[in-house]
Amino acid sequence: MTNHAILNPADHGDLRVHTHASADLGDAIMACPTVPAEFRQVQAHYPIVLRRDPATGQMGALALFGFETGENLFLRDGRWDATYRPLAMAIQPFLIGRPATPDGAAQVHVDLAHPRISADGEGVRVFDAEGMPTPFLEDIAGKLGDLDHAHREAAGFYAALERYELAEPFTLEVTLDSGATNSLVGYHTIDEARLAALDGAALHDLMAGGHLLRIAMILASLSHFADLVARKNMLARDG
Amino acid sequence: MIGSVEKVVIVGGGTAGWLSACLLAARRPELAITLVEAPDIATIGVGEGTWPTMRETLATIGISEAEFLTECDAAFKQGSRFDGWVDGSAQDSYLHPFTPPPPGDMAALLAAWQAGAADLPFAAMMTPQHAVCAENLAPRQRTMPGYAGALTYGYHLDAGKFAGLVGRHATGRLGVSHVAAQVTEVVIGPTGDVAGLRLHDGRTLEGDFFIDCSGQAAILIGNHCKVPWIDRSDVSFNDRALAVQVPVAQGSPIASQTVGTAHEAGWIWDIALPARRGIGCVYSSRFLDDDRAEDILRAHIAAHVPGADVSALQPRQLRFATGHRARFWDRNCLAVGLSAGFIEPLEASAIVTIELSIKALADNFPRRSATMGILADRFNDLFRYRWDRIVEFLKLHYVLSRRAEPYWVAQRDPATIPARLAQCLELWRDQPPSTWDFPRMDELFCAASQQYVLYGMGFPVPDACRRSAIDTAAVGRLADVRQRARSLVAALPANRTYLDAARVQAHAALNMELARQ
Repeated sequence: MTNHAILNPADHGDLRVHTHASADLGDAIMACPTVPAEFRQVQAHYPIVLRRDPATGQMGALALFGFETGENLFLRDGRWDATYRPLAMAIQPFLIGRPATPDGAAQVHVDLAHPRISADGEGVRVFDAEGMPTPFLEDIAGKLGDLDHAHREAAGFYAALERYELAEPFTLEVTLDSGATNSLVGYHTIDEARLAALDGAALHDLMAGGHLLRIAMILASLSHFADLVARKNMLARDG
Repeated sequence: MIGSVEKVVIVGGGTAGWLSACLLAARRPELAITLVEAPDIATIGVGEGTWPTMRETLATIGISEAEFLTECDAAFKQGSRFDGWVDGSAQDSYLHPFTPPPPGDMAALLAAWQAGAADLPFAAMMTPQHAVCAENLAPRQRTMPGYAGALTYGYHLDAGKFAGLVGRHATGRLGVSHVAAQVTEVVIGPTGDVAGLRLHDGRTLEGDFFIDCSGQAAILIGNHCKVPWIDRSDVSFNDRALAVQVPVAQGSPIASQTVGTAHEAGWIWDIALPARRGIGCVYSSRFLDDDRAEDILRAHIAAHVPGADVSALQPRQLRFATGHRARFWDRNCLAVGLSAGFIEPLEASAIVTIELSIKALADNFPRRSATMGILADRFNDLFRYRWDRIVEFLKLHYVLSRRAEPYWVAQRDPATIPARLAQCLELWRDQPPSTWDFPRMDELFCAASQQYVLYGMGFPVPDACRRSAIDTAAVGRLADVRQRARSLVAALPANRTYLDAARVQAHAALNMELARQ
């Protein structure tokens, strides 16, 4: 259930938003979408995997937080145990909205049914007493702008992956200390063999488009699977 | 080991006694600590403001912040606001917040303030806490770990409940023995040290070290040790208070700071707790009779507490001697709390002095009788220094006033101003208060506190600061303060919201606990 509204001080002057991390606030998820523009930050904390939308066939990327549905191994004692949260998480419960006219300016929308919407007087105010945006909203608006821009420029990156057939399906089987196994299926990653076999013209194309670095960041991010396994083992140990 | 110090006896069970017992037991678990208190002795119980030090104290003794807040009906204190102290006009108000000004050269910050926004209050320029206090906001969010805050804070609390909580904690969790008995006689050992306390039931409580928390009775430091009392009423005039507790309406705002409102011959404290406000009229009996003081108190409550039934209130009178002991540690007896001294409650120095006394004792506990004298001398030097600084800092609030009533005029008489304070005021015409003026560790009132009072009361900024070139780094730090104020005002909950939610949460936790049993 969602309930989207265009954010404005008249209707949302007293609106407060919970900003801490908690399962109750919708943080108990195993992955969230991430955009190529933030791969540099995301790869420092989370594995980045690719996924083809079953309906549209369109390629996209996810930051992984866990191995199974509802599992977020970065949620610990009411906080998010990493210094960077992907934009898709950090902007909640806000969204970018566009009016029907094609060139209309983007607007900040809010999902009033989102669990981050506070009903108890705690949480961060969106507008101050004078109806001006608070620094929190200014920060959110900045992130929404970043995300909007990132979405628009992402198509070129995925088109490049398709052009050189660099995405390959992968399956990951993880064995925990307890002997239990988890497997991840249905995701793609970069085909390193194909990447290594690209000729100079192809590499130059990828580099000129700014894609090569992002490809490398996806590859580098995979080392965080070991971190995820360690978090999962620790959780199993500590109950 | 012969001459080793292992058994500690604390005399008196008010805030001073139980807090001392907890802190010493937590810091020195190897000691065997017994607290003896006469049954049915009423405690003074008006020390209801703490300093930020209380957070570390509570964490050290192992009481969670959530438990403390609900058990003591406590609220957050982020400083003190002084209304009417300069000239008594309607807009005469300034804040002494707990959060210090931004780091860096105060002279440069003063220059940036004067150049940029000289009409704004000093505290509003120097810390986001000013804006947070103005909105009655809490200094932290409930999701933060206990005792952490976005700003520096202490507490307002119910002193009776607090003594109860630390008492239960001392005996239940920290292994302090409790003896309910009257002390009838002090037993002297062969060395001349106190060896034990004879109780009214004939028993004798033996000990190696004794802490006198018996309040104004001063059973050990006064009656037994005969350490002289140094009267400071020549500087600090107030000697009486009329205290009352006023219930407040559910959901009413809870102030973020103690409010001290000046009147013709003293001032009125107002300490907001979730269920009540503790309000008291402090005055000097030389300048004000008791009836007039009560009139002032009742008029203040009628004007400042919405819906209060003023006629139903029964103020309790407290008379206090202003001063302190010449020495606090004599042979193997240490005075902590009111037995050591008392200066009027302005700036709430009573409980923090207890904490600092036990910290100094625990950090330097005499392991052998042989070192007792060395440590006692050091302690006495340090605390004589501290009492002198308390007396001077409190006096600072009066000497900067321009009020014209006889009491206020008398406060500014140079004959009543301690020499060191007079010297500082002379220096501060040319340079702001700094650590050069207050160089010791754990200064009660550091340079920041002096600055908040000084510039809060309109003491002129040194000419050199007005003339100097503006330091862009200082301007940037003041801009950071403004931005942080905007963020914090948006992010922090109202005190009422926080404390009501904390209470609901505590009850839910208790019910779950009961259901499990």
